[in-house]
Amino acid sequence: MDLIKKTNFNFLGNRMRGYLFSFIVIAAGVVVFLGRGPMNNFGVDFIGGDILHITLGTSTDVADIRATLAGSGAGEVTVQSLGTAGREFIIKSKPDTSALLRAALEKAYGAQGFEVVGSSTVAPAMSGTLRKKSIRAFIFGVIGILLYLSFRFEFRFAVTAVVALIHDILFTAAVLAFFGRQIDASVIAGFLTIVGYSVNDKVVIFDRIRENLKNSRSSDYLALFNQSINDVLGRTLLTGVAVMAVLLCLFLMGGEPLHSLSLCLLSGFIVGTYSSIFVATALLLDWHRVSPHRFKL
Amino acid sequence: MRNRQTIGMLLIAAGIGMCVWAIYPPGEKIKRGLDLQGGVHVVLEVQKATDEAHTLTDLTDRALEVIRNRVDALRVSEPIIQREGDNFIIVDLPGAKDPEKALEIIGKTALLEFRLVKDDTSGDTSGYEFLPTRERDERGILRDGPPLLVKKEPELTGAGLRDAYVGYDAAKPVVNLELNREGARIFDEVTGRNVGRRLAIVLDGVVKSAPVIRTRIPDGKAQISGHFTVEEAKELALVLRAGALPAEVKLAYKEVVGPTLGKSYVEAGLRASLIGGAIVFAMMAVYYLWFGLLADFAMAFNILILIAVFSVIKGVFTLPGIAGIALAAGMAVDANILIFERMREEKRAGKSVRGIVDAGYHRAWSAIIDSNITTVIAGFALFMFGEGPIKGFGLTLCIGNIANLITAVFVTKVIVDWVLSNWRVETIRI
Repeated sequence: MDLIKKTNFNFLGNRMRGYLFSFIVIAAGVVVFLGRGPMNNFGVDFIGGDILHITLGTSTDVADIRATLAGSGAGEVTVQSLGTAGREFIIKSKPDTSALLRAALEKAYGAQGFEVVGSSTVAPAMSGTLRKKSIRAFIFGVIGILLYLSFRFEFRFAVTAVVALIHDILFTAAVLAFFGRQIDASVIAGFLTIVGYSVNDKVVIFDRIRENLKNSRSSDYLALFNQSINDVLGRTLLTGVAVMAVLLCLFLMGGEPLHSLSLCLLSGFIVGTYSSIFVATALLLDWHRVSPHRFKL
Repeated sequence: MRNRQTIGMLLIAAGIGMCVWAIYPPGEKIKRGLDLQGGVHVVLEVQKATDEAHTLTDLTDRALEVIRNRVDALRVSEPIIQREGDNFIIVDLPGAKDPEKALEIIGKTALLEFRLVKDDTSGDTSGYEFLPTRERDERGILRDGPPLLVKKEPELTGAGLRDAYVGYDAAKPVVNLELNREGARIFDEVTGRNVGRRLAIVLDGVVKSAPVIRTRIPDGKAQISGHFTVEEAKELALVLRAGALPAEVKLAYKEVVGPTLGKSYVEAGLRASLIGGAIVFAMMAVYYLWFGLLADFAMAFNILILIAVFSVIKGVFTLPGIAGIALAAGMAVDANILIFERMREEKRAGKSVRGIVDAGYHRAWSAIIDSNITTVIAGFALFMFGEGPIKGFGLTLCIGNIANLITAVFVTKVIVDWVLSNWRVETIRI
């Protein structure tokens, strides 16, 4: 079966629309993010705090649990409902407050009325270390990618690829904010997976650009870049479908613990594929427009 | 040429055999993370008291001994207790039946007591109680010894002890004790009154040793001698030092997963991963026919290597880890898609069978190697500089990509070459 024949879409002709789209989504993400405050944006892994995962004997709703916990003395809490039965909840609170929450729950539902099926505590010192090390690891990874791509392609290719990677993470973080999801350790792993896939996708297009540059003397880079994108379109779509198939299964059927992670990956992989064309390659072209450059590869 | 291909095929078979050997039997070789079987994961931070002269590392070692002693008492099947950095202790108790209780036991302060032993168990035993003795045998396995009848009231606690260390007396290892002033005063009195009796050293309610009081000890410097090996003497000294722990142990990170939480989610996660993998499998076969099946074989081999390496390095499988493997399957076919799409291009250009295959692999190579190396670089940075889950993730990324390079390119090429030289292939359907 060969569904994708030779194509000749003018992808890069639409790049201004692409820039605008990315800008709007990321800006909206920043607004939502700032509006929600750190307690809603980050998991306890990153800011420290307690988590109680409970099941109730009777069914109720988030508002009821929140009202029950309001007088517990634990301060600000966030309550998330799992499933549709209204019997399973995840409660997040400040560090060292889970005992207060338990006491309040026991008062409201009785000692037998609820069960703690899971709990976590992260001390602020620990979360600080994790945060610092994650950021450092990410920076070293980006430097490594920059160096390798500069060596194998050209400095400009490396820079636009890294800009696109940062774009992908911001875009995905924005999507997570829209869905009211938190950034925790598993989402960070998701970001890193996205970076791995996204850089992979950029290299495939860059590789074809490199090849076409060798075989052509034309300096009409718009046509040449468009040509390269079209040349590898079959691969882009097929790999995309394969990865999406797995991710959609995980998102739709994987259950609650995989929900944030698979949502993060799903949006990240789509935007990673998109940014190969509309961020990395588009910026490469516009960089040439602003400061003309003869690519030597 | 024929020979080389046969050797290649044999190498592939050997590789598969090694992987299966590394994984089989899966129940034993594959370690399941907390989220898959419930249990407790704790990180403890050891903090120095302000006027303490001992190094943080020494204090952490003592705290480690205290915690090991308690975890042994919990009888969890495969506990992991290890030091991380200078002052962190990681405790993993997979499958702990009552996680909250376990946590409570680990978290409390160490209690070292010196209690008098009553060897004559007949007669009046009021004021005395039986305590278990527990020691490691020569193979390091914990065994319960006969319980000892000891006085309920301790003569002295760890608070009276300053230090304990291994020394030598007549070329035999002994354990030296140093008591502080208050401890020395009490010890003087107790040993003076009870020469000939045994004094049990009890840590957290377990008798660790019960030496006989040979003489009155007035100066706060005691010596325990016996038929110790150096190892045993060291362990006893560590028990004593642990009891005199001048440090605070604080909880830095805690994760408790009840056994009920695991099951339903594990099933959903596994099912979703399997279905996702199956869709990719079918898609490749339908889209690329025989070559698709070849890519499927490479993908399966890739996952096999990933799991095998994981079980050899004793990695722990978690739910996100399983999802990651399913995802790796989706991404693993990318290299083959690059090759096959290239082969289609070459076929359109009207090349021969051999030409299509060779040009397909040759021209796709630069894209495959560059994309794999960049991902390995990213993974390596995460492994080197990351911590906890991020470190493990970086490792998986590296192993997965290297395995992918081997299976998707070299393994499939060996098989294609073998087929082309053993059968007459007139046309390629791709």
